[in-house]
Amino acid sequence: MHKKSIIRGWLSVIAAVALFAGCAQMAVKPDQQNFKTPKVTLDSMEVAHAFGYWYFSNKVQPTKGKPENVGAPLELAFIFNIENPNDYPVKMDSLKFTIAFEDFDLNTVGSTDTMWIPAGKTNQLRVSAHFDVRQSLLSLLVTGGFKLKQEGTNAWAILEKWWTEIPQYNIPVHVKAGSAVFKADGLTKVATFNATFPQ
Amino acid sequence: MFAKNIWPKIFIHLLVVVLVAGFSSMACAETIKVGSLVDMTGATSDVGKDYALGIAEAMHYVNDNGGVNGKQIKLYQFDYGYRVPEALTKYKLFKRLKTVAVLGWGTGDTEALSPTVTKDKMPYVSASYSAHLTDPKKTPYNLFFATDYSTNARAALTAWFDKKWPKNKDYGKRKPRLVCSYMFASPYCSAPIKAIKDQAKLLGFEVGPDQNVSLFAIDTKSQILAMKEFKPDVVWHGNTTMSVAATLRDAYALGLGADHIIDNWGFDENLPKLAGKASEGAMGVAVCAFFGENVPGMDNVIEYAKKYNPGIPLDQRLNHTVQAWGDVLILWEAMKRADKAGSLSGESILKNGFETMRNFDIGLGAPPITFTATDHRVAGIVPIYEVENGKFKLVEKVDLKSRWPEKWANDWLGW
Repeated sequence: MHKKSIIRGWLSVIAAVALFAGCAQMAVKPDQQNFKTPKVTLDSMEVAHAFGYWYFSNKVQPTKGKPENVGAPLELAFIFNIENPNDYPVKMDSLKFTIAFEDFDLNTVGSTDTMWIPAGKTNQLRVSAHFDVRQSLLSLLVTGGFKLKQEGTNAWAILEKWWTEIPQYNIPVHVKAGSAVFKADGLTKVATFNATFPQ
Repeated sequence: MFAKNIWPKIFIHLLVVVLVAGFSSMACAETIKVGSLVDMTGATSDVGKDYALGIAEAMHYVNDNGGVNGKQIKLYQFDYGYRVPEALTKYKLFKRLKTVAVLGWGTGDTEALSPTVTKDKMPYVSASYSAHLTDPKKTPYNLFFATDYSTNARAALTAWFDKKWPKNKDYGKRKPRLVCSYMFASPYCSAPIKAIKDQAKLLGFEVGPDQNVSLFAIDTKSQILAMKEFKPDVVWHGNTTMSVAATLRDAYALGLGADHIIDNWGFDENLPKLAGKASEGAMGVAVCAFFGENVPGMDNVIEYAKKYNPGIPLDQRLNHTVQAWGDVLILWEAMKRADKAGSLSGESILKNGFETMRNFDIGLGAPPITFTATDHRVAGIVPIYEVENGKFKLVEKVDLKSRWPEKWANDWLGW
């Protein structure tokens, strides 16, 4: 009986130590004063998939399927470093940013996948962005039409340049108006970021 | 001996209780899923991006203020590039994700999805204000916080008839002349055309040939020259801001000499910037206040824009952010009421939520909102503004419901 109680006692102590050790990083409780905004930086941008430059209007009969206004896709991937300078884990709730080719905003993308970043560590996040000639044509015309006119160019010329040069990493791709929402124990911080690749 | 043995047991039990209590907020946090379809890259991205930002910001506000009776909302927001097939695909994903409601965008996709959302009993709160979505007999699960496009078009024409036509040198000598300028193939642009022509007939207008102006147009000279042959006194613009600005610029440059009335998605803070002097005197529909206007609730809109999108200067934000808040706030209220009534099913959100609202005030310069089981038009009063020195000035609040009560009640619902 005595031996059993000694074993129980030791087990209790071991369990307590293990639990407290596991929770050690929670020792610092987040508050408005100690919650530092995590830092988001663009690590790199990859041309994930490129399919050349082409466009078919819906007047062209395809070999299979129905005719559509359709253009070459271009898939880009943006890899971000997300650094948590705090002494406790933080949760990233969402991240979004606008992508501009040269001076033209073309797409706003993001991630709503949640991610926990351990105290003092840096995670990486990959965000994919899909472009195609049709979609980018519409976006360009409806938001950049006047600017194209002012610059004495037209949408087709600029799209061809982008679709052939971006896969060569010859044209700067800008990340603009980026924001990422972080949470810790009910507190919220928003990190902002901008970047260009290649620099 | 007994006392010695009991202490470790008590200690372990206490430890468990403390740890469980410590993590209880994480363990018990209930989440409601809401879908959001937005256009940040397609044919309406000139107005869609700002609306998308507003949806996400408003949802942060909702969660910061208790969510739905303590339940947080997880927003799944997707850009569908104004492509109807992609909207249908994303809707199927929302169903798989078990969203309780969807915040939609365009008229084409919202109308295409309407039979499906009715069958699924999925509350679908859209940025399309098509009057086709206001009759609960046909589209019970389609809702929005604003006055519909047809009501807006009728009100804009009426305001011009009341305020501008009497000042015309030909007033009393002949009928006023109207031309409609819009993209024929766009369901959004064409939605209110039948109604505005009906209103023109009611007020005694002569209506000229419609002009097809693409949403992507930056050169509309041929359409303006065609309008000149008819000599309109007023032109209705049913497109979004960029192509409306292009049309106003060409009308100014070619001396069309007509006034302009504009639908709400073509009448925002970018219009005077893009069209300059050509936009002076243009009248338009605003279904709520412009961004930053001094109205109840605007302080929250500004605070959350600053907080969650600090990289976007406030002077680039538009009234479409405010419109997004309007749709989120009515959905929030409907969900809270439904939840209190015991269920967050689609049917409960509709019946115990939306259709219990009577003159519900969301602020933001929007009209008090009423939904009934027989009528989803939220209000019959439409504020009409005019551009004056690059700013928006309220001209008149046109009360169609009081002015034509019979037609409002018996004739105008659903088109």
